[in-house]
Amino acid sequence: MSKVLQVTLGLITSIGGFLEIGSVITAAQAGAAFGYKLLWAILLGTLCLVFLVEMSGRLAAVSKHTIVEATRARFGFPFFFIVTIGMGIVAFLVLIAELGGIGLSLQILTGIGFSWWAVAVSIVVWLLMWRGTFSLIENGASLLGLVTISFVVAAIKLHPDWGSAAHGLIPSLPGHDKTKYWFVAVSILGASISPYLMYFYSSGAVEDGWDETYIPINRIIAGIGMTFGGFLSMAVLVGAALFFQPKGIQVDKFSQAALLMTTALPKWGFFLFALSMLFACLGAALEISLAIAYFFAQGFGWNWSEDMNPSRDARFAFTYTIIILLAAVPLLFGIDPVKVTVISMALTSATLPLAIVPFLLLMNDPDYLRDQRNGWLSNTVVSIVILISFVLAIISIPLEFFGS
Amino acid sequence: MKVIADVLDKELIDRNGEPIGRVDGLVMHVGERTQPRITHIAVGGPALWERLHPAFARLSRRLARMWGPKRTEQVRIPWSRVKTAGRDIKLDVEGKETGAIDWEIWISRKIIKRIPGSGGDEEGDGSQS
Repeated sequence: MSKVLQVTLGLITSIGGFLEIGSVITAAQAGAAFGYKLLWAILLGTLCLVFLVEMSGRLAAVSKHTIVEATRARFGFPFFFIVTIGMGIVAFLVLIAELGGIGLSLQILTGIGFSWWAVAVSIVVWLLMWRGTFSLIENGASLLGLVTISFVVAAIKLHPDWGSAAHGLIPSLPGHDKTKYWFVAVSILGASISPYLMYFYSSGAVEDGWDETYIPINRIIAGIGMTFGGFLSMAVLVGAALFFQPKGIQVDKFSQAALLMTTALPKWGFFLFALSMLFACLGAALEISLAIAYFFAQGFGWNWSEDMNPSRDARFAFTYTIIILLAAVPLLFGIDPVKVTVISMALTSATLPLAIVPFLLLMNDPDYLRDQRNGWLSNTVVSIVILISFVLAIISIPLEFFGS
Repeated sequence: MKVIADVLDKELIDRNGEPIGRVDGLVMHVGERTQPRITHIAVGGPALWERLHPAFARLSRRLARMWGPKRTEQVRIPWSRVKTAGRDIKLDVEGKETGAIDWEIWISRKIIKRIPGSGGDEEGDGSQS
C-alpha cells in the first residue's frame, strides 16, 4: 500500500473512530450544564492523546514491541499484574458502556428496549471479531464512524457564538455546581485519554509490521487525526450548550442526547444521532475487546493476531469470547449504560497514572527507543495532563458520589 | 548479563519463531563446590503465581488439577537451549514439545475448534507447524 494511501486511511480511522459513548455523553453533559465553559477539558485531553498515540506508534515502529509486551518485560510480572487488574476492570466497564450504547441506539431506531438487544449485540460484536481481520475492524468500523461528522453539521446549524466558544478553551472556575463541574471535567479527560486506544494502536502498528520509516506517517496520523477527532467532541459540547443549556435540561438519558441533533436537523436528526452512535459504539466495542485480548496475550506471551484463525491463537480468541459474552450480562439485567459510561470515564482518569507512568519510563528507555526517545516537550505535556487528571479525579469522584 | 533485567519476563520464541510464553521464573543450581548457575527457565503455572504470593500458586495448582491439560509438574526449559537473549529469548526447541503451550493446545482443541468458523480444519492441532 502506498504511504499516501496509508496516511489517508489512518486519518479516516482516527477521525471516524474517535467518538464513542464516553466522549458523546460527557461532552453533552458538559455543554448542557456549563455551556462552553468545559471546552478546555476536551482541548487538554485531546492534546495529551495526540502525544500518547504518537508515542504508542513510535514505540512499536522502533522496538517492534507493543506497550504491553514492553511493560511486562521491563517492569516484571508483579507490577504488570497490578496494571492488568486496574486496566482490566476499567476496560471491561467501558466495554459494557459501548455495548449498551449500541443497544440504546437500536432502542431509538426500533423502539425495543436496549436490554433485549444485549445478547444479539454481543454476538454480532463477537462474530465480527471471530471472522474479521484487523483491517476490517479498524477500517470498516471507522469508515462507518465517519457519519459522526453529522455532529459538526448539527452544531454549526445552531449558529454558535464563536467568541464565547473560544473563551471556553481557557480553563475557568465554575460559578455554580462546583463539584459537578470538576467531575464532568474529569470524565471528559477520561473519555479523551483512553489507555485502551494506546494498546489497540500499538498492537495495530505491530500487526501491520511498522518499522522506523513509519515514524513520520505515525506523527501525521496521531497529530491531525486525533485533533480532528477532538473537534468532533467539541462539536457535541457546542451543540449541547446551544440546545440544552437555555432550556435547563440535564443530559442523563441517552434519548435526551438525541435531541441535540433534532433541532438543527429536524427531519433526519433523530435517525442520524442513532446511526452515529450505533457505528461509533460498535467501532469502540470492537477496539476495546481487541485491546483487552491483546493485553492478556501480550502480557503472558501467548500467540496473538486478529488476522490469524482463532484456532491458531486459541487463548487470545478465548479471552475476547469470554469478555464480550460477560459484558452482555449486566445489560441483560437492565443496568443503565449512561451511568456505567459516566463512572467508567471518571475511573479511567483516576487510573491513568497506572498506565501512563510506566509507559513514559519506557518511552525514555534507550533499550527500547534508541535515538527515538521522547523529547522534553512530550514528557512535560503528558506528565502535566496526567497529573491534573489524577488529582482532579481523586478529589472529585468521592465528592460526586458521597458528598452532599 | 543482568539476569533479572535482561532475562526474567522476556518473551520466549521457539525455533519456528512462535511465541511460547514468557520467562516466568529461573531455576538455579547452587552446588557445594561449584559456582551457582542457571539451569532452567520456568514457564507458566506455579512459578509465575509464586512471584505474587504462595496462595496464588496453590490456587493455580488446584485449578489446574480440576480443569485443563493434565500436567502437574512445572514446565522447565533447559538453559542450554537458549540461542540468543536480546529483547526476546530465542530458543532452540519445538514449542509443542516443551509443554509451555499445553494450555494453548488444550483450549484450541476443547473449546475454540468446536465453535464453527475457527479455521480449525486447516491447521493441525492448534499449535504452530
